Amino acid sequence: MENFEPVIVAFCCHYCAYTAADMAGSMRLSYPANVKIVRVPCSGKVDTIHMMKALEKGADGVMVAGCLEGDCHFKSGNTKAARRVVFVKKLLEEIGIEAERLAMFTMSAGMGTRFAQVAGEFTEQIRKLGPNPVRAGLKARKAAEKVA
Amino acid sequence: MITAERKPLAEIIDSIDAYKRILLVGCNECVTVCAAGGRKEVATLASALQMDFMKRGKHIDIREMTLERQCDPEYVEQLAPYIDQVDAVISMACGCGVQEVVRRFKAKRVYPAVNTKFMGASERPGVWAERCHGCGNCLLGLTGGICPIARCSKSLMNGPCGGSSKGKCEVSSEIDCVWQLIWDRLKELGIQDRYEDVIMAKDWSTERGGGPRKIVREDLAQ
Amino acid sequence: MIDHNTDPQQRVLVIGGGVAGIKAAMDLSEARKNVLLVDKAAAIGGLMTQLDRTFPTNNCDLCTISPRLSAGARQQHIELMPMTQVTALEGEAGNFTVTLTSAPRYIDLEKCTACGECHKKYPECVRFTPGLDHRAPTCMRYPQATPQAFSIDMAACKDVEGLVKVCPAGAIIPNDTEQQHTRFVSAVILAAGAELFAPGKLDHFGHGRYPNVVTGLEYERIMSASGPTLGELVRPSDQKQPKRVAWIQCAGSRGINREDVSYCSSVCCMYALKEAIVTKERFKDDIETTIFYMDMRTFGKDYEAYYQRAKDRYGIRLVRCRPHSIIPAAQTQDLQISYAKDEESGLITEEFDMVVLSTGFRPAEATKQLAKTLGIELNVHHFTKSGSFEPVGTTKPGIYVCGVLESPKDIPETMVQASAAACMAAKHLAKGEAAVEIEDEYPPERDVYGEAPRIGVFVCDCGQNIGGALDVDAVVAEAKKYPHVMLAEMSGHGCGKDALERIQQAIKEHNLNRVVVGACSPRTHEGLFQETIRRAGLNKYLVEIANIRDQSAWVHSGSRELATAKAKQLVRMAVAGVAKSGPLKDHQLPMNTDVLVLGGGVAGLNSALELADKGFKVVLAERTGRLGGLAAIVRRNLEGDDVQAYVRQLVAKVQSHSLIEVVTNAIVVDHSGMPGKFTTGFQIGPRMYYRQIEHGATVLATGSLANRPKQYLLDRHKAVLTQLDLDGVLEDQPAQVKEWQTVVMIQCVGSRTPENPNCSRICCQTAIKNALRLLDLNPEMRLFVLYRDMRTYGFSEDAYIEARRRGVIFVRYAPETPPQVAEAGNQVTVSFTDPILRRPVEVTADRLALSTGLIADEETTEDLAAIFHLQRTEDGHFLEEHVKLKPVDMSVPGFFMAGSAHSPRNIRESITQAQAVAGRVQSLLAQKTINLGAVVARVEGEKCATCLACVRACPYNVPFINENRQSEIDPAKCHGCGVCAAECPAKAIQLCHFEDEPILAKLEGLLERIA
Repeated sequence: MENFEPVIVAFCCHYCAYTAADMAGSMRLSYPANVKIVRVPCSGKVDTIHMMKALEKGADGVMVAGCLEGDCHFKSGNTKAARRVVFVKKLLEEIGIEAERLAMFTMSAGMGTRFAQVAGEFTEQIRKLGPNPVRAGLKARKAAEKVA
Repeated sequence: MITAERKPLAEIIDSIDAYKRILLVGCNECVTVCAAGGRKEVATLASALQMDFMKRGKHIDIREMTLERQCDPEYVEQLAPYIDQVDAVISMACGCGVQEVVRRFKAKRVYPAVNTKFMGASERPGVWAERCHGCGNCLLGLTGGICPIARCSKSLMNGPCGGSSKGKCEVSSEIDCVWQLIWDRLKELGIQDRYEDVIMAKDWSTERGGGPRKIVREDLAQ
Repeated sequence: MIDHNTDPQQRVLVIGGGVAGIKAAMDLSEARKNVLLVDKAAAIGGLMTQLDRTFPTNNCDLCTISPRLSAGARQQHIELMPMTQVTALEGEAGNFTVTLTSAPRYIDLEKCTACGECHKKYPECVRFTPGLDHRAPTCMRYPQATPQAFSIDMAACKDVEGLVKVCPAGAIIPNDTEQQHTRFVSAVILAAGAELFAPGKLDHFGHGRYPNVVTGLEYERIMSASGPTLGELVRPSDQKQPKRVAWIQCAGSRGINREDVSYCSSVCCMYALKEAIVTKERFKDDIETTIFYMDMRTFGKDYEAYYQRAKDRYGIRLVRCRPHSIIPAAQTQDLQISYAKDEESGLITEEFDMVVLSTGFRPAEATKQLAKTLGIELNVHHFTKSGSFEPVGTTKPGIYVCGVLESPKDIPETMVQASAAACMAAKHLAKGEAAVEIEDEYPPERDVYGEAPRIGVFVCDCGQNIGGALDVDAVVAEAKKYPHVMLAEMSGHGCGKDALERIQQAIKEHNLNRVVVGACSPRTHEGLFQETIRRAGLNKYLVEIANIRDQSAWVHSGSRELATAKAKQLVRMAVAGVAKSGPLKDHQLPMNTDVLVLGGGVAGLNSALELADKGFKVVLAERTGRLGGLAAIVRRNLEGDDVQAYVRQLVAKVQSHSLIEVVTNAIVVDHSGMPGKFTTGFQIGPRMYYRQIEHGATVLATGSLANRPKQYLLDRHKAVLTQLDLDGVLEDQPAQVKEWQTVVMIQCVGSRTPENPNCSRICCQTAIKNALRLLDLNPEMRLFVLYRDMRTYGFSEDAYIEARRRGVIFVRYAPETPPQVAEAGNQVTVSFTDPILRRPVEVTADRLALSTGLIADEETTEDLAAIFHLQRTEDGHFLEEHVKLKPVDMSVPGFFMAGSAHSPRNIRESITQAQAVAGRVQSLLAQKTINLGAVVARVEGEKCATCLACVRACPYNVPFINENRQSEIDPAKCHGCGVCAAECPAKAIQLCHFEDEPILAKLEGLLERIA
């Protein structure tokens, strides 16, 4: 696994995290290219199933990023998202997948620096964990799908 | 409402490990409302099972379905077109739903994915609490509308035991002593004297004492 | 160059692009009025863009204001002229001719993409905002500047040719010159703001000499994520994190010394508390925060609670003392402050690592010149002069003022004034003309239902911005292989006119039914591309933007390979997502433009009148049998005006207005509908007959109650009365007043207590008002005011000074040891402890006046909140939608509020809110229909298990279980967050435009190759 480049999905809320990611861009801060953002209106929109499916399909890490506590554009979506993340982490532990592959972050729209830093740290954390163990079965599944 | 809770994943996995194709069936009634076995939980469990299999280099084919009500044969019938394409069924309904599927598809192995817990009410979002024991002989009219059968750890019918302390049950400080609640309620209603009334020994034959129960409405029965 | 634009189109000139100017411009633009917004800076935003966080919500400003700024720039009714000043004004209200002078920017705004190449190569040529952000990472004033463009200092440029060449967009104009413009405007809104006092002139504080003495604003910049230290709190002298920070309040304000001003700046107490709280939040016990203050002036809505939190929850130390000076410690650059405390004698000397001077607002020198140019008068403090009952007026008709230029104030008050000024300025626009609307002609929408996706992919290189960091050709080549992609091509500057036309042409040529653009951020450009494909006959929701600039090219510029690979994946995700997207319909509603105003006090009357004058039909419903509200029993204000005369003429105007129907003794009993289409039921009159009123907007001006707590023998002894009672006695029985020898006043009676924690805001000025009137009648009278903090904010501080000068004795008391009052025949004795003498004092008074303030009319607000589904504060006032951005809008669309139903306030402030509300209502009702967008939750009824999860999860209480036993979500009320969709256990809810399918398709698109 020398050349392991993790694939990381970041669900980012439109009003804060996604804006912070843009801000990182306008500040020209570098962070790992491993992180791919999916924009959602609010972190509270990120379903349990979205987090699970990202990992099931082979993502090595999933970030859910919302507004700072108390600053959610939609009042409380970020706290709901945080609780959902805890729930999914427990589920992952049950099937023996490292809970650290999933994490919730909060930031304000102006925190480009924080986005870049978090993206970097999380990528490193996932790199240390190694590839998502479900990758072992992905081939089997792909093969099965082709037959079907 | 019947409440339920998802079984530990290890137990579910253990029951289906030998299969390659399974049908995962949810129910859009009670278990949806208590977030144990609706469409969302079906999808989440399917994903978790899939991951577990893939982690071990295996693949399992999971078909997800959620029936309007798994305890009615007409709805269960909707599984018929798919039942032969799978090796086993996992039901996320309560015990009633699981058994209805078994009754219809006798040749198929059916496994429960939830533990059916109790008849309860939604105390607040995300919290369900036991309210009714289904004893078949309701005495809520005598106890200020609060059930000592379901909510007293010992199902005592004539006041609390010695373990009641500061309104809590000795079994756990999380549990309210129901007799405290009943007393408070009687006081609120201004009928404290009812507390003195002795509730006679209960006829438990309407509960499980008389064996499995059945309700027949003659006018409706076909 | 002189540009005479003599087009007769009516417009309002807004001078100043800070929050006040932006808010006024946006309100006018929303009401479809044309605005010319000029700002002398290169980018609009004013002071607020430099703040780290703003009270009382303590959120980051960029998050809240940036979308507004870019929205401001987008508005088609706003013409923005940066770097421009007014140099002459002629004519009169309704018909001004203004001369404007624009400084050369040397940048073509149309071409500049803010790529930053010029700054990278020639940093010395690119203009900074001097002072605070000299080390900031970007030299635009803040990261999301509007206009999003640089500005060049040609004088500093030694290699003009090189500079011109370095710009990939060819945007640099080396021979740009100063330009003069002439415009016709109907009215002017002055929002030029003020400066912050530069404390370097105060030698005892050593600002500018001691590196670790900074101003409040400099501290904000140090704390700001976009500031010079990127948000790292370090002290200037040694770049180390300070452990002890002190704030000194009233630096340069409320003083009598050279360089001081006498007035109070109104905002510094709150901003010091905010800075201390934010500091504490970050460093917890690792830092000590101390605020030296004279009076803690937290008089705004719920600000008192903020103050208590600062003390109790965050442990911020508050020392009541005005330190004389700051002495630097030898070598360490630490700072010594000596101060005295009431409880102890002698001076205490303490060391701090950093001292923040809370400096206040000062009118800019340029303001005086501007006032002269415009021909308006300024007051003694060089702020604009306006009338007691015309809070946003100036001495010249047709010119209005808002924001700090009028008087020191915070953001919420500024926003209210801005809306009020917008409302008043719009009066001068001819009615018929303003309503003319250029409706865009769109071609009919093509029905793509049932078609397989046919996707066109267009990848921008954005000059060097994208192309410089990644291989656009490779991204295009790869995109051609993706499923459903019919066409992929490079798009140059994709947002340029040519490129947009090319997209439209390609849609037609290739019969495309979906489009992906590899570009910059959808936050800024989604609207543009949606509009583009709509013009080509496609539903606007069939375009997806892959953000390959901000989120790839700009952040992975170190590796072309990685950036290219990531851009491919982002495009792949967008293709997969858009393939699963469907056409959506924006929700629209027809508009009923009638207005219901609840409450016939000063706020309600003014709102009704302003709206009716603009041609809106108004029903004014009053619960009691008379109009005038609380103001009808007030006799004089602090300025000495006859309040009754004002209220009488106001009531007369309302009653005789042909468009206003007044309904008295009317009680609201039911309500339904949505903005533009409300129905409210009333029971009216003694017979309680039922009547329904249909209306498009609702104004709540239900007022508050004069508090009358049973304290200090009130209503039990005839010598004890409230300030409101005293106000009446002063007018009606002056002979009696002359006989009084001694009068005592007690402040904060029934306010700032555990039962009613908030400050009533008006009591300090009311007490001073009455004290001065007592002295006018009887100059020999002995007057004591027992207070906790004197909160004579703004210019009312002058009256406080006047009262002290005329011998009123002010004695502070602590809430733990309130004054004691006892009967003494016809008099009362008041005992209290003098904090300076540290001795008990007993005064026998002829009268005791209690400052009891205002409290929420809980019964009314509770009923109305239940009927209208409105939110209330803990103390029973109505809660606004957003304390800063939408201070008179309520969280239920179509509802607005004015007056003391919002929070305690004086008549002038109530009138401002009333005018603001009238403006906001006009903005809402300017549209014939309301466009609600398409991002709303949709319920698939047959899947619903009626579990109530959505009902409980929705932050806005929108979903309900309807009579068909299904959850129903009213698109008119849905805010589009999608929380219900994520919580629904039956997966019966989808959020349009963010459905599960496209989201999962994006994941699939990203992850399909992993195996």
